[in-house]
Amino acid sequence: MRVSEALKWLLFVWLAAVIVAAFFYVRPAEGFIGESSRIVFFHVPMAWIAVLAFLVSCITSVMYLRRRDPKDDIHASVSAGLGLLFAVLATTTGAVFARIMWNAYWNWDPRQTSITILLLIYAAYLALRGAIDDPERRASLSAVYAILAFVTVPFLVFVVPRIYWSLHPDTIINTRGSNEFDSRYTQVLMASLVGFTGLYVWLYTIGCRIEAIRQRRRQEVL
Amino acid sequence: MSSLLIEAVAVAAKDLRTEFRTRVALNALGLFALTVLAAVSYTVGPYRITAEDRPFLLAVLLWIVIFFAALAGLDRSFVKEEESHTAPLLRLAASPMAVWLGKLGFNLVLIYLLMVILVPLYCILMGYTIQLIGGFVLILVSGGFALAVITTIVAAIIARALTRGALFSVLSLPLLLPLLIFLIQGTAGAADGTSETVTNALRAVLSMGGIMTIVSAMLFPVVWTD
Repeated sequence: MRVSEALKWLLFVWLAAVIVAAFFYVRPAEGFIGESSRIVFFHVPMAWIAVLAFLVSCITSVMYLRRRDPKDDIHASVSAGLGLLFAVLATTTGAVFARIMWNAYWNWDPRQTSITILLLIYAAYLALRGAIDDPERRASLSAVYAILAFVTVPFLVFVVPRIYWSLHPDTIINTRGSNEFDSRYTQVLMASLVGFTGLYVWLYTIGCRIEAIRQRRRQEVL
Repeated sequence: MSSLLIEAVAVAAKDLRTEFRTRVALNALGLFALTVLAAVSYTVGPYRITAEDRPFLLAVLLWIVIFFAALAGLDRSFVKEEESHTAPLLRLAASPMAVWLGKLGFNLVLIYLLMVILVPLYCILMGYTIQLIGGFVLILVSGGFALAVITTIVAAIIARALTRGALFSVLSLPLLLPLLIFLIQGTAGAADGTSETVTNALRAVLSMGGIMTIVSAMLFPVVWTD
């Protein structure tokens, strides 16, 4: 308990430092309007968590189908819920950036298309969970759907952007010419990715504990 | 292997026979498609869209009609088993693999039947000229296959849930959207005669259909027996 308490405070300080660094440590990047480039420190980690949560959900779904442990089902559903939250945040920050750079919140850029479909998948997964009463059947059917949906992700991420031309900046910004983005950008972005991943892990453990308590309560009532 | 195929054909034949008795899925698919076609044809017509926009926009409309018609009727394959309480008997009578293959065959027959009637009618009513007929047919055949594979496994899932009708579209659409994008690109390419676009789209559709076939075959027994 002591260690987790310390980690929680470390995460708090770390994220606070990332936020301060994002606004004071780096200068606005060239080629971007005004201060808009700073959003990268929040937008990219959110998109990363949205995909990571999906991956975790898919892996725990496979584990559920193999072992039939109800805990795996709880893990999958909690991760999907967090994924939906972070996907909404990534979409919103992306739309704000698009408005500043390209003067429109939404223009169906391939990246926007793929995040929309990701959002739809999360929503469909949670809708399916809501529509089945029997816990075991709910667990196995939603696990199957999570795996099916995960199979379409490579097509969204790799194939669709190749067919359509995209306005989205390169996904790995700092591989192209070190003049445009100095090393400070890399440092803060990496720190932010670590911080957000920590935040996800923290929310995930809390979510799993709450869900486990809720299920135990339900069994006690029955 | 051969006994599996015989079982699968028996399941598909049973479904087709009961379908032609009641015609629930056929009516849903066919009438939906014809109604939407009439509406589109009346409001847009053959001359409303400019010549350079035609290949793409008419491809969009065509696939939207096909997809939504499919979503209106293709869930019947599994939902009717649950509604008439024949699913437990089918579980005893046939292996899961045979049931999946049979239902997939049934959905394939329905979707190709729909295409055979709808697509020529659409091309005539909307004045849609296709330059690469071969590529167009390949896109339709592979698209129909991928569509049938995805709707079959989703129908199997939703047949076991409480609110079936709405859930079928909600669960299918996110899986179908990438497919829809590729098919529209390919059809537009076939219409204006760029074979490169057609082959690129065909590659994407076939790989997606293939992967979905393998994953569905692996996961279907879980859905069916749980």
